[in-house]
Formats: sequence, C-alpha cells, structure tokens
Amino acid sequence: MMRIEFELNGEPRVLETPAERRLLAILREDFGLTGAKPGCEVGRCGACMVWLDDLPTNACLVMAWQLDGRSVTTVEAIAADPRSESVRAALAECGGLQCGYCTPGLVVTMTHLADCSPRPDAACARAQLAGNLCRCTGYGGIQRAVERLFPTADAGD
Amino acid sequence: MNPPDADVLTHEALLARVRPRPDAADKLRAQVRYPTDRYASAKGESALHGAILGSPHPHARILAIDTSAAVALPGVHAVVTAPDIPGRTHYGLRVIDRPILCADKVRCIGDPIAAVAADTLAIARAACALIRVEYALLPVVEDPELALAADAETLHEGGNLLHSVRHGWGELEAAMQAATHVVEDEYETARQMHGYLETEGGIVEPDGAGGLIVHFACQHPARDAEVIADMLRLPAGMVRVIGTPIGGSYGGKDELTIQPVAALLAWKSGRAVRLQLSRPESVDLGVKRHPFRIRMKSGCDAQGRLLFHMASLVADTGAYATHGPEILDAAQEHAVGPYAWPALAVEGRLAYTNNGIAGAFRGFGAVQTQFALERQISRLAEACGIDGLAFRRMNLVAPDASGPMGQVVAPFDGPRRVLDVLAEHPLWQQRRPRDEGRYRHGVGLALVHRSDGFGRGGPNAARIAIGLAPDGAIEIRCGFTEMGQNLIDTVRVLGARLLGCAESDLRAVLGDSARAPDSGSTAASRATAILWRGLGRHGAEWRKRLCALAAPPLGRMPDQLQAGEGGIRGADGALLLSYALLAASLGDALPELLISLEAEETPSDIAAAHYVFGACAALAEVRVDTWSGRAELTRMVIAAALGPVISPQGFLGQMEGGAMMGAGLALTEHLPTAGGRYLARNLDGYLMPTLMDAPRFEIIAVQGLPEGDEIGPRGAGEIGVNIAAPAVAEAIAAALAMPVRRLPVLPEHILDHLDMPEGAA
Ligand code: FES
Ligand code: FES
Repeated sequence: MMRIEFELNGEPRVLETPAERRLLAILREDFGLTGAKPGCEVGRCGACMVWLDDLPTNACLVMAWQLDGRSVTTVEAIAADPRSESVRAALAECGGLQCGYCTPGLVVTMTHLADCSPRPDAACARAQLAGNLCRCTGYGGIQRAVERLFPTADAGD
Repeated sequence: MNPPDADVLTHEALLARVRPRPDAADKLRAQVRYPTDRYASAKGESALHGAILGSPHPHARILAIDTSAAVALPGVHAVVTAPDIPGRTHYGLRVIDRPILCADKVRCIGDPIAAVAADTLAIARAACALIRVEYALLPVVEDPELALAADAETLHEGGNLLHSVRHGWGELEAAMQAATHVVEDEYETARQMHGYLETEGGIVEPDGAGGLIVHFACQHPARDAEVIADMLRLPAGMVRVIGTPIGGSYGGKDELTIQPVAALLAWKSGRAVRLQLSRPESVDLGVKRHPFRIRMKSGCDAQGRLLFHMASLVADTGAYATHGPEILDAAQEHAVGPYAWPALAVEGRLAYTNNGIAGAFRGFGAVQTQFALERQISRLAEACGIDGLAFRRMNLVAPDASGPMGQVVAPFDGPRRVLDVLAEHPLWQQRRPRDEGRYRHGVGLALVHRSDGFGRGGPNAARIAIGLAPDGAIEIRCGFTEMGQNLIDTVRVLGARLLGCAESDLRAVLGDSARAPDSGSTAASRATAILWRGLGRHGAEWRKRLCALAAPPLGRMPDQLQAGEGGIRGADGALLLSYALLAASLGDALPELLISLEAEETPSDIAAAHYVFGACAALAEVRVDTWSGRAELTRMVIAAALGPVISPQGFLGQMEGGAMMGAGLALTEHLPTAGGRYLARNLDGYLMPTLMDAPRFEIIAVQGLPEGDEIGPRGAGEIGVNIAAPAVAEAIAAALAMPVRRLPVLPEHILDHLDMPEGAA
C-alpha cells in the first residue's frame, strides 16, 4: 500500500492503495467515475482516456505510484467544461457516435486537440485520433466531425 | 442516362437529414451507464467480484476438480462448478451442446470450469488459481477438413460434423459442356473478431423476492432470462434481464455469454455479483466469424451468359454450435448471389474443432461466400471482355424470379437499381487502374444481395406493445436492445408517423424482459422492419383505442375524436385532452396494445430459405504501396437498396460502420490459431481499423420498393459488411491484376504476387 496525493477534477484527493493499481481501476472503483472505460487495458483502444496534467493519457497505463503530485481530469469534468462544447456538438451532429462506448475517450482526446494553440489541422488531428478505436461508426461521422473542428489543410485527397 | 430517380438519396441528401441521436448528449457527457459500469446492486451494496477459471487446454478430459483451497480463502463467498447447477446444465440455439460449466470435458481454451465470487477481483482471481483441475489431454482437432475424417478425435458424441447442406438445380454436366469460359478456384476467409469495445460483463443481483435481476449486454433478453431460469429451476418470470445499452455487439453478444455463470454465483452467494471478462479472456471465450474454405467452379457462354455454378464449402465452427448451422445455411444461400444460374450445385459442411468458438457475426456466413462469388463473377466477366458492371447486370435474376434456394421471395429489383446508380458514378466511369511508380490504384465493383430476418423455420415471430404510461408518454415496448444502431430514433420516427403523435409524446422501452414483450433477437437486421410492420398494421387500432378511452371524460363520441400530436384532438384538430391528462383520468386502467407478428416467411417449403432481400453495390478504391505491400482503402461508394430510410442517422451509421468492418476483414483482421490457441489476445496483436484507415465514404440510399411491396424497409444492420469485403477484394485485384484468393489480403500476399514472374498467377 502507498499513500498518494493527487488532484482529481480540480479537487485534492488522498489515496491509500497498492502502488501498482491502475488509474483506470482507481477512477471507476474508488471514485465511481465510470466515464473512462476499459477496452483493452494495454493502451491500444483509447476508451479509458483522461488528461494527466492536461495531456491525453491512457488511464489503463498509469499506475498509482505515478500519480503522486499530478492532476487527473476525467471526461465527467471535461464534458462539463465549455471547451468541450464544440467537440460534443460536432460529434452529435455529424453522427460521430453509435454505441457510445468509445465516445468519452474521443471527447477527451478531441477536446485537448481543439484546445491546442494553434489548433492542429485535420491530418494531424486524424493521426492523433488513431489512438481512439471506434468499432461502430466506421469513422464516417468522426471524420466529418474532425473536418468540422479542424482547419482542413488536407481537404481533398 | 437514366432519368433522375426521386427515390435516390445522395450522400449529401442523407447527411442533410442526419440529426443527433436521442441519446447523443448523454453518451457524450459519459452519463450513460453500461452494464459493466455497475459496481453495486440497485440498493447500493457493493457487488462481489466474479472470476472464471477457464481451461488452459483446448481439448482435455476433466478427471477431478478440487475447490477446497479456493473455498477456504478469506474473502471468498461462493465457488461454483457444474454440480452446483440445479437445473439445465447446457444451452444452445438449435443444438444444445454448450455446458455452462464444464464437468467432464473441455473443448477450447477458456472453456469455463469453475467460478468464484469474492470481495475483490484480486481475491477472486487468487481463488481461481487455487482450484486444482486434473486433466487428461486429448488430441487437438485443428483443421475442419481433417476433423471430418473418419478417424478424427471427436469433440462431441455424434462426431464432428455439426451440419451439412446441399442444394441445386439444372443440368450441370450439359451446362459445363456448353460453357466457353470456366473459372475454378479455392478461396479462404479468416477468423474475424467482433472487437466490441465493451467486453462481456455486467452484474446479477437477487431481487429480494427469490428471483434475479441480470444487467448484462445481450441481444435477446427474454431468451437469456429463460436460459437462466431453466438453469436455476426458477419459474419463468423470476429472472429479469435488462440487456441494454450495449457497448457494441455486432452479433457477438447474441447468444448468451457469461450471464449464466454470473447468475449462478449470485444465486449461490445471495449477493450481487459483478463479472466482466478481461480482453484476453474475451478473445479466448467470445465467438468469432467462421473461417471458410470455399471451392467454386462457374462458367458462362461466349456472350457472357452465366451457365452454371458449383460451390463447396467447409467451415470451422469451433467447440460449440451456437449459430453455426444457420451460418452455414446463409453461406449456402448467398453463394448463389442475385444471379441467374441455369444449373447450380452448392454443398457445405460445418465441422467442430478445438479452435475457440465461432458464432453470429454481422454479415453472418454470407460475406464469406459473397467474396468468393464476386471474384468468380469478375473473372468470368474479364474472360468475356465485358465490363464487370454490364456483366452483372445482364446476368441478374428477374425481380420477380424465385430466390437463391428456388424459394418464393418478395419481389425485389434492388440489385438492378443499385447497379444503375453506380454505372453513372464518376468513380466507375473513370476507373482505369493507375500506376504511379511506388503506388498503384484500382477500383473494384461488387454486388450483393442479402436476406433479412431468420430463414424459414427460424425464430421470426415477434411481439411488441404500445402502451400509455402513467405520465402520459406513449411507450413503445419491445425486447430489442440498443447496441448503437439508433433504435430509439427509429422508434420515434416510426411511432410518430404511424401512431399520429409527436415524437416528444413517445418513449422507447427497450431490452428489458420485465417491461417489454419478447420481440425475438435483435439480430438478422430485423428490428426496424418489425417495428415498421407492427406499428404500421396496428397503429390505427391503437389510435381508436385512445379515442374510445377519451370519449367518456370528454363527453363526445369516439368518432368525433382523433389521437394526434400532444393528445386527443377534435375533428377540427383542436387539442381537447393531453395524453398526460388522459392517463391521469384512467388511473390504473392504462391501455396496452400487444401486437403479435407472425413469422414473415417464404411460402416455399424449403428449410432455412429467406423471403426478404435487400441489395447493395459498391465501388472501392485502393492505393497499394508496392514497397510495403500495404493496401489502403481510400474511397468507398455504396449504393444501398433497402427501401425507405427510416432513421437517416442510423442508416448512415450502419452502412459506414458495417463497411469499415468489412474492409477490416478484407485488409487486416485475422485471428490465426496454432494448437487450438489464438495467436493474439488483445487489440495490439489483432488489428482493427483506426481513423487513419478509414476511407472517404459516399453512401447512397436507393429507397423505392416494387409496386405493392408489403414488407417495407430492409435491414441495414449487416449489408455494409457484406458489400465491403468483396468490393475491397475486387479493388486490389483490379489494381494489381492479382488473383485474390483469401481474406484478408495481407502485405505478404501482395508482395508475393508482385514478386511473381509475369503471368505465373
Ligand atoms: S483500456 Fe486503456 S487504451 Fe484501451
Ligand atoms: S460508437 Fe461504439 S465503439 Fe465507437
């Protein structure tokens, strides 16, 4: 067991937990924050995405011992943040979600990209989003949302 | 040029009609709770954690199981093995061959032997590790063809042949003699993984009244409830299954997964039990797409008229039957295609092996044979020097001809209409293969038709209900589950249109065996069509019922009233009584109209044959990197003739999502086995498409149906897969003049082909 102090969605938290427990499990089991989803638990699917010190990070790859002194922002907070509004609107209006299981992870990554300055272009955003698998949409709607949100340096083909 | 067809919705027109899903806002704010998001019972008590001890061997006899050390471990509340099952120990669809917990034999890696419920997952897993199982290893049956040999080790009593099919017509010998061009080859399709992001899991809790509540992703809550009740010897109705929402299924959660095990643990411990498979466990135990080996021989005359077609199929069903027999049936039916063959012979066999379990998967047996068939057709067209589109068009069956099994089918001209649309498409018109040094480009065309619903004799009947809720909402209650296909929107659109109310008057009650009648499985692309038929045929009756109920409080005659938007209206359209007030005036006597739909089946007496078909044609454009051998799908145009589009968002999403899955099957996805073991157990070793692999999609809806059609919309759930896999294969063949014989087309296959001396293929 180790004692960890970190910030979760803006609030200071203290935790006694085995050092090798995953952040994903901590969020879901200890804090009831189930927005981050388990999909692969090897960093491949992006369903568990959170911000760790404001950078998109796979919560399944972060161990408790790495958390001390850091800040974690989950989709629950990001989705309530006005910065995610355009992302959520684009995904909803373009048909960028179906079962919705990948959706929290996408919101987390895309909100970060939309908040970068300068904003990445569509090609760059696409490449970054290759870490968020979606098995339902075929990426049609996600691609349309990306085109709406990011300047399209690669318009056409 | 054809006259512009008012029934054709271009991609832009479709996009213009797309609106956010009713559940989009909640999903985007992570407010939707999936079954696996539940860690506590409804009463708030934290749930026990379950874990399953699966077999480490693909084939073995179980000699002894000792659970004493696991039982003794502090924190363990229940340990179950097969003898703990009070009732039915096996389940299955047509063939009841799958043990809930194995007692005497294991037939694949991960086959469940015991399960534990404990205070934490770590304790549950530790307890599983303490269970001692003594095995006597058996020979591993790996190859489906060898599995059918007389001296093969058998998995089940009765041998390894699970199902076989055969049908045909015409004078085969004479047709072969008459053929000018004959193409004969052997094709192979790989084992594909569903790859739903939410692995199998959920929570089962005692309901406090002697029964159980099961929150587990599924496609058919009523059936699952029945299987669990039978297992526990509980009266039907004491098990309630809530199977929705689902983090992806694609057929993979159609049959029961691990619900019975979770239910047994909850039963034994008397506590809520949460059970979820890790991704590697899910890969081992979840069903996969059936790998097929397909031999085909087909011929045509010098003018390009098809003369005969022979197909011989062998498929690997793995350890248990699940949907295997129906999949072989579909494979045989779709091996014929929408083409007119004067002589035909199709036969197939389905073998048990120790290679995991194969089961239902979007595209369902058909996609495998459609890939091979489309290759045959393209090669015959080429041999005749006729372009592939014209060749297909001239060989279509007539719209009112009998179906691929010779059965009576609902008349349908979809195949011709989708070809007509693509014939005018610029991508088809400018399709020359391009060679740009390192990169080669090609455009492929494919055409498929595919069946809706289950074949004759299958579980095609359905029940749905319309009811007025205490708050005045008109509820459409059905046992179908929402897996992402936008069923809630479909309910709203159809409800408003066919019941005359506003969308805001409606509420969809889905996927709960206690609150909705048994609609059958949310499978076989059938949910939208069943809602359309049910509400269409009984909507007027429902409205009359409401008017009759509103008449006394309003002091009018029922025929002076109409059920409209917001409530009951007078003949002049003025709102007289809102649905909320009507409900309040009725107290407990709220109306429910139960609708029973008979199976919509072909009148022909042919087992497993279908009555209803939809059609798709597609153009796929690939860019092949001749250095790496990697083929990239850059563009995909799909014309889909599925009748009227009900939910544009659902339609588009199903087509694009299905197409990407089919493209995955064609390009990267395969799960090989060695010694009965999967060679990948997670998403890093099994490559599903990412956003970087997605093409530019253009989806065109060809809406109209033949005069007098009573069937209505055809399902869009699967056909995207069916069309994409052959279209991508055709594109690679076109780009490289490559005889594509197996899916997926991996870089090594392409490099091998490019290395081959000219003309050696
Ligand atoms: S669960 Fe973390 S990336 Fe898949
Ligand atoms: S919407 Fe289902 S995985 Fe993306």
